[in-house]
Amino acid sequence: MGIIELNGLEVRLGGRTVLNGLTGELQGNAIGLLGPNGAGKSTLINTLLGFHQAIRGSARVFGLDTHHDRARIRQGIGYMPENDSFIGNMSGVRFVRYMAELAGLPPGEALERAHEALFYVGLGEVRYRKVNSYSLGMKQLVKLAQALAHGPKLLILDEPTNGLDPMARQRMIQVIKDIRKEGSIRLLISSHLLRDIDETCDEVLILKNGRIAALCNIEAERRSNRNFMELETVGATEKFSVSIRGLGCECACFPGGRIKLVMPDHVEARDLYVIASEQGVQIRRMNQRRDSLEDIFLRAMDSEMERPTYVSL
Amino acid sequence: MSVYKHDYRAYTGKVTPLWARVLVLARYGWMDAWSSKITVGLFTFSLLPLIVFMIGIYLANNPIARALIMKGGQEGLAINARYFMIVLQFQSWAALALTSWVAPRLITFDLADDALPILLSHPISRFGYVFGKFIALFASLSLVTWVPCLLLFAYQGYSSTQPWAAGNLRIAAGLVVGAVIWITFLSILGLALSSWVKWRVLATGIIFAAVFVPSGVGGIVSAILHTKWGSLLNLPVMMSLLWQRLLGAPDFFWTEATLPTSAIVAMLVLACAIFAAMLNARIRAREVVRG
Repeated sequence: MGIIELNGLEVRLGGRTVLNGLTGELQGNAIGLLGPNGAGKSTLINTLLGFHQAIRGSARVFGLDTHHDRARIRQGIGYMPENDSFIGNMSGVRFVRYMAELAGLPPGEALERAHEALFYVGLGEVRYRKVNSYSLGMKQLVKLAQALAHGPKLLILDEPTNGLDPMARQRMIQVIKDIRKEGSIRLLISSHLLRDIDETCDEVLILKNGRIAALCNIEAERRSNRNFMELETVGATEKFSVSIRGLGCECACFPGGRIKLVMPDHVEARDLYVIASEQGVQIRRMNQRRDSLEDIFLRAMDSEMERPTYVSL
Repeated sequence: MSVYKHDYRAYTGKVTPLWARVLVLARYGWMDAWSSKITVGLFTFSLLPLIVFMIGIYLANNPIARALIMKGGQEGLAINARYFMIVLQFQSWAALALTSWVAPRLITFDLADDALPILLSHPISRFGYVFGKFIALFASLSLVTWVPCLLLFAYQGYSSTQPWAAGNLRIAAGLVVGAVIWITFLSILGLALSSWVKWRVLATGIIFAAVFVPSGVGGIVSAILHTKWGSLLNLPVMMSLLWQRLLGAPDFFWTEATLPTSAIVAMLVLACAIFAAMLNARIRAREVVRG
């Protein structure tokens, strides 16, 4: 059973359909939630937390309905919201303790776990300072600490690197990686930054206009998605492309002698050089790469209607 | 305290029951409220009239002291329903002052930094959140209303040479019921108005205004339309009439503005319903923008 199940989930807010018939099962240890702004990422998270009610379909977390069992679901969830959300006049440790007590920890345990969580995220030295005196990066970390303190089964991070400088971002990513490595917490990370998801997640749900554009295991997708090759050629490009198709490559030609091709496993780069040599075609540049999350994302974003007409496959 | 443990570990200990989370909010709300010196100052100030009333009870029940100080005058010091109604009135307006300071502290700190998404992502409902804050405010106001009033009642019962308390239990019941109605109303009013204003000082002013501005409007309505129903907007008049009837005190204030008890209760319920609707609209994890 997946940790999150979506069954035709439809959510309307302010008279607008924000999530439209989402169906899928999320099973990964770290699930990335990708999509452009307004795709419905935060709405999906809010629905999973029981803040919004579905008008059709349902969503289940740990097999529990997000509307009827929201208290039990929240018991097992740690949530780090996207925007500033804290009590500024409290010290870091008091704030985290307060949140841990609300999650059900007895006061003594909550205090102990608050100290631990703050040390874990790297705020141990500033834990007695008021939260509103923290820098933006510290505020992000204190939100993470409060989400972790009660030992949730699922950690939902909404844009965790939002507004962070490169150093702070790297630190946040490292903490997320450590949490994932520890293994007792599942992660759902929403971001519009592909790199964040690429570095931390093993499964990705891509939303577009409130619909699921893709739901895949990143590693499996990379493995299945073969070698990509970009060539810049001079000479009889069309004839050359026909020949390499004969090898079993999928290939697209672009103006200026540019060729993009997907090579099957049995074809190697030297086979291309042999054909080029035979046909008098010069290969000026060759760029070989594996499928990246960016490719997966762009493919998901590209519907058939939006493909450029000059690309021939 | 194991601050040396810098590695994450899952929590496997016991968890408090769901209903107890409301008490966590109440406890933190209480601590926030009483961490302010101004709260302590207001509380102390609100106890000053009680000292005067206590001296009054002492004098009324001590013939020697009365003879020395009051020269035997007894009528002005009759300890009866009217006396306790004056006590309740003093304490109730002290409660309003305390509400105007404490209620914004309970709500606006959460709203100022948009803490509601985090607070409500825990196993606590919106009702539970408001109820927790309500308990904190209600308990704080109890300390200046029905609790000291009952203590005074007990002191009078103790000081009286005759079996006074048993014959005046209605006063005790009226004190508790009257004060509870008032502080319940104040708590809902304070939380509702504070939830709509992020600036604490402004919230304090608005709470006072919400009590006294409609009173002025009610007075104007009564004067222009020559009707008694304008008094339904006058909270001090309404509450005094209600307390007077609850304590069984004789008419001595606002005799010209007699309102039926049912109308007063209906007005208070209507006001509470409006405040509840205001809280329902404001206390949300996420605001939905229409359009």
